Amino acid sequence: MTLALASLLIPLATALLLLFLRSRAGAWVIIASLLSLIVAGLALAEVVAHGTQTLAIGGWDTPLGIRFELNLLSALLLTFTALVHLLVAVYAERSRHSQTRDTDYWPLSCLLHGSLAALWLSRDLFNWYVTLELLGLVAVAMIIISGPKAYGPALRYLLLSLAASLCYLLGVALLYGRYGVLDIDLLATMIDANHTTRLALLLMTLGLMLKAALWPLHLWLPAAHASAPTAVSALLSALVVKGPLFILWMLWSRMAPVEVAQPAGLLFALAGIVALLAGGWAALRTPFLKTLVAYSTVAQLGYALLALGLLLRWQQTELSAALWLFVLAHGLAKVSMFLAAGEMQATLGSKRVSSLKGATQTMPIAMFAFAVAGGSLIGLPPSGGFVAKWVLLQPLLADPVHWPWALGVLLGTLASAAYVFRVVALAFDRADPNPPNYNPDAFAQWLALLPALVVWGMALYSEPLILWLTEVNR
Amino acid sequence: MLSLELLFDITLSVLLLILAGTALHVRHLYTGIVLFVAFGLLLAITWARLGAPDLALAEAAIGAGLTGVLLLAALARIGPEPPPRRPPARALSAGVLGVLVLILLIRAVLPLEQGPQPLPGLVSAHLDTSGVSHPVTAVLLNFRAWDTLLELVVLLLAVLGVRQLQPAGYKQAHAWTLLRAWSRILAPLSVIIAGYLLWRGSHAPGGAFQAGALLAAGIVLLRLAGLLPVLRWDDWPMRALVLMGIVVFLGIAAAGAWLGSGWLNYPPQWSGNLILLIEVAATLSIAASLSLLVIGEREELGT
Repeated sequence: MTLALASLLIPLATALLLLFLRSRAGAWVIIASLLSLIVAGLALAEVVAHGTQTLAIGGWDTPLGIRFELNLLSALLLTFTALVHLLVAVYAERSRHSQTRDTDYWPLSCLLHGSLAALWLSRDLFNWYVTLELLGLVAVAMIIISGPKAYGPALRYLLLSLAASLCYLLGVALLYGRYGVLDIDLLATMIDANHTTRLALLLMTLGLMLKAALWPLHLWLPAAHASAPTAVSALLSALVVKGPLFILWMLWSRMAPVEVAQPAGLLFALAGIVALLAGGWAALRTPFLKTLVAYSTVAQLGYALLALGLLLRWQQTELSAALWLFVLAHGLAKVSMFLAAGEMQATLGSKRVSSLKGATQTMPIAMFAFAVAGGSLIGLPPSGGFVAKWVLLQPLLADPVHWPWALGVLLGTLASAAYVFRVVALAFDRADPNPPNYNPDAFAQWLALLPALVVWGMALYSEPLILWLTEVNR
Repeated sequence: MLSLELLFDITLSVLLLILAGTALHVRHLYTGIVLFVAFGLLLAITWARLGAPDLALAEAAIGAGLTGVLLLAALARIGPEPPPRRPPARALSAGVLGVLVLILLIRAVLPLEQGPQPLPGLVSAHLDTSGVSHPVTAVLLNFRAWDTLLELVVLLLAVLGVRQLQPAGYKQAHAWTLLRAWSRILAPLSVIIAGYLLWRGSHAPGGAFQAGALLAAGIVLLRLAGLLPVLRWDDWPMRALVLMGIVVFLGIAAAGAWLGSGWLNYPPQWSGNLILLIEVAATLSIAASLSLLVIGEREELGT
């Protein structure tokens, strides 16, 4: 547990130091992310060797105090968070198009890292509320770095995020009033399906779905993620929306009574299918590149929602593995996609998809990164996205009754293939390429490619990943 | 026959509802803000009636006081407002939705009276070992100190977020002589009362958030009267003040994990003093952050 706490403390302390010194040197953040990654990796190794650890903060046992739990999933997510921060920090420090030079991006990204680490470790409903507040505020502060044009989407995000927080808090208050405890495992032993529980779960779910931009509460996401600086878009899509998703998964899979969870699971799964199709369709239609990538986030979150829904519907804990594999694979692929998109958009001088005409000639490495990341989003083997889809499809294909769900996944895959190939096909149109405004920065493009390579490398470690994530629920 | 107390409570609830409704639906924003401040004061009284004086103090200082100043400052920056136009169909659907939510909430809230409440008993059982004798302070700074630490980070993020906006300056009106005279009396009083609240926090309602808000109110008053120079994030003592609460808190947490028995574990013989140290640092940080939020530098940002 000490290692996990260190992984949380390092970015927080770095943020305070950077703020006090008014330093905007990215090197500090890179070193801090690297240290945090090493420590988180050691924590993961410790959990693999010795099993789940818990910590009663301040020495006060539940229900009086707050409990931290470091299980395989938390350790994996800590490592993933540090890895994504490291990859993005290296890009943001090196690229001249990251729009983060001479801004407060650096301390803010450290605070984001710390907030997420606190969220992954906590098992207390009210403490989660505080971490959700942190996430919402830091995300909005990072979006407005890109200047006045982002104020509108950022303000909408802030207001919706506050409304969602209040919804969640009201749900927590109802549960506390009814059962008198806030720890999720204690609640799970006491909870039964009555009016208060149902309304509390409904309120918390609405709040969390709004914060995680799950269909149909996703409408704020494309504008907010597309108007943020490139490095921030990558962090928002890869990490910030996954925080509320984690809490949602915890609430429903660990705490909710079965007779409430099963009907809700059907709704979740249906919303997931619609998200896949609607998000894919919107990504296919939008004229702007970053908006396309943002809509692809909406669509990809549909897989997570579908896995959550089917997990609840059939009470099959193996589907948790599919959910978290999707989250990891999508996070890495989306970092690569946003960085490549931002780099191309800045170099080619237009935000439109049409400006990518002939990009395979003018910016081959960035386009390659986009295509490779897109391959993982579609689920081409042997990428991380393929592994996740494989784990999800296995129970669906096993029984003919479940084939309609598999059809939904197939349609979603076609939609993601359509929007990825829309961009790639245009980029191969080399007859009259759009000339870049600047000399393309090859090194920055390689940095954008790096996360995509990691996500394809995930397939090599798929066996331990699947094994660990399947054990999470036990 | 209604008892006097019940009559008072009913009047209070009805007034609260009326003020909330009118604050939302009044034609002019200025009137809305004034009504909102009045609503905050009444809400503070309501908390006091419900037996939560800590919340009442915080609501009066932050909800009614500083939020009111922030809203008025925001109003000063926006131009004339267009008259609000609301299609009746929308108002109707909002009303129906509101009634529906109300019914659901009432059905969910009514059974709460019988719910088990193990925590108040546990808190009083462990109060002796917490280092303070006021249960709210014991929860905030010992049993659930991690929440409070993160709340301080939330406040820091609010300051940082507003900084990113690079708000434009606006011309401050020349201070009224009476205000200058009054602020010279009120500001020292706010320092004394804040110190008293902070000290009281260990055994009675009060504590860092309330004291910090009061202190900030004094600073805002002095600044509005033109008696204080501009507060700048660029000055290192200001930054040190804003960051101090989190640094002290995190330092104690980490020191406990490294040298002592665990993360945020206070050694029992020192816990009273450690809590006081954290509270003093947090009060100064909260006061500095809130005053930066309300009257911080404007023109120099972004240079």
